[in-house]
Amino acid sequence: MCGCRLPEGAALLKVLLVEDEEMLRESYYIILTSAVYEVDVAANGKAALAKCKEKHYDLILLDLMMPIMDGTTFLERLPPAYLARTKVIILSNLSSGAELEKAIKLGAQGSLLKATLSPKELLAAVRYEIAA
Amino acid sequence: MAKPASSLSMLGNYHAALLGEVERYKLLVESIEDYAIFLLSPEGIIQSWNKGAQKTKGYRAEEIIGKHFSIFYRESDKEARKPQRELELAQQYGRVEDEDWRVRSDGSRFWANVVITALRGPDGALVGFAKVTRDLTERKKHEDALRQSNAVLLQQQRELERLNAAKDEFISLASHQLRTPATIIKQLLGMLKEGFYGEVPEHQLAPLLKAYSSNERQIGIVNDLLRIAQTDSGRLIIVKTPVSVRELLMELTDARAETFAKRRQTLAVDLPATFAESVLADRTHFGMVLDNLIDNASKYTPEGGSIRIGAARDGESAIISVRDTGVGISPEDVGKLYQKFSRIPNALSDKVGGNGLGLYWARKVVSLHKGSISVESRPGKGTTFYVRMPLAGRGSVA
Repeated sequence: MCGCRLPEGAALLKVLLVEDEEMLRESYYIILTSAVYEVDVAANGKAALAKCKEKHYDLILLDLMMPIMDGTTFLERLPPAYLARTKVIILSNLSSGAELEKAIKLGAQGSLLKATLSPKELLAAVRYEIAA
Repeated sequence: MAKPASSLSMLGNYHAALLGEVERYKLLVESIEDYAIFLLSPEGIIQSWNKGAQKTKGYRAEEIIGKHFSIFYRESDKEARKPQRELELAQQYGRVEDEDWRVRSDGSRFWANVVITALRGPDGALVGFAKVTRDLTERKKHEDALRQSNAVLLQQQRELERLNAAKDEFISLASHQLRTPATIIKQLLGMLKEGFYGEVPEHQLAPLLKAYSSNERQIGIVNDLLRIAQTDSGRLIIVKTPVSVRELLMELTDARAETFAKRRQTLAVDLPATFAESVLADRTHFGMVLDNLIDNASKYTPEGGSIRIGAARDGESAIISVRDTGVGISPEDVGKLYQKFSRIPNALSDKVGGNGLGLYWARKVVSLHKGSISVESRPGKGTTFYVRMPLAGRGSVA
């Protein structure tokens, strides 16, 4: 386990994980909750929008290719005021291409490649992105 | 008395000679078999005939002389006044040439090359036309056959292009589909390996690590295939910005430091202190190209060897070199380096694994940047790859 300790009195960082692949969703959930994150999950952009209406997230890890509503559409529909106060990191398997560029243009602040990261590397990358 | 007689006989001789000359010319024209050569009156009436004309058009002299030359034209041409127009043009410009279908006496068609020349007397008055016709049906047949086979080839080429695009699409789709389960395996094995499901017993660690690295290789292959399909189909988007060569090389070698340490190889970036050039490149893809060369250099160099990376400016280009002390490449294998799926057998190739896509892709990407890759190698001594890239404009150098 990562062995992270929560500083006294610090609030958990709230993370929304948007991923359609159930097994990946479960894995990332276990990985992220092992660190000091409060994690909610959504299986597509539409479900993610509903979650965002209910609460504020510090970080949204967003897959791009998803059924029902894909990642870029989610970004288009997310209210700008909300987007301004959160950080969206694309977590997909696209290392380049039109979809990824579009997501960055729509306000995503970074991207991580699923297939290249081990769980610990994923955590390190998430920590880095939050600090950045 | 002798003189007039002599004059007379001289005139007679001259006359005879002249007649002989005319006869010889007549004979010459009449005997030619490969060209139809005949005279037309100013109105287009046929006035003479030769062997070639008979052979080409099928008429004998006695049945054709006195007829209008439009008899050789197709009905549609006659209706369009083509014969008359050709005479008018010949009269206006001195000569007219045409290549088209003409009709023989038996009604069959032949492909003719026709030249009609206006004939004028010393006073410039039109006295008629000379018409020379050649039967080019055989040539026409060959040309048509050639044109047809060209059309077939073109169609086949289009079909191949279509199939190739379908193949790229298939590879792309298949790779995408394969990547998801491969990624899930990676996550789950990674979680096992990194203790998310508790401590892994010692004796289970080795197979777990093997499974993990095998899966990494699998993902590598899938990614390579995807990149290739994307690049081959022209869907790879290159976004060029000025990229500091020094920074990029430092970043790449830092990321590889662990691998090199593991292989007990030394990796040195050897740039002149003053070298501060930036190249115009897509940072991600160009970085992958250089990383690929660095990784190759390491893979094909035995433990304890060294890899040196250098850079130099050459005119409006930067040349980045990756030099190793590895197994080298024989001259006959150099040509195969950049072929898709080509792997060159050597002392280390069985050990290092690879899919023969790296250099193929690297060269494609570098050429998308209007750069080039070259190689120098001595078997047993080592290999140097050179990547030439256009420098970023002076104003844009960071």
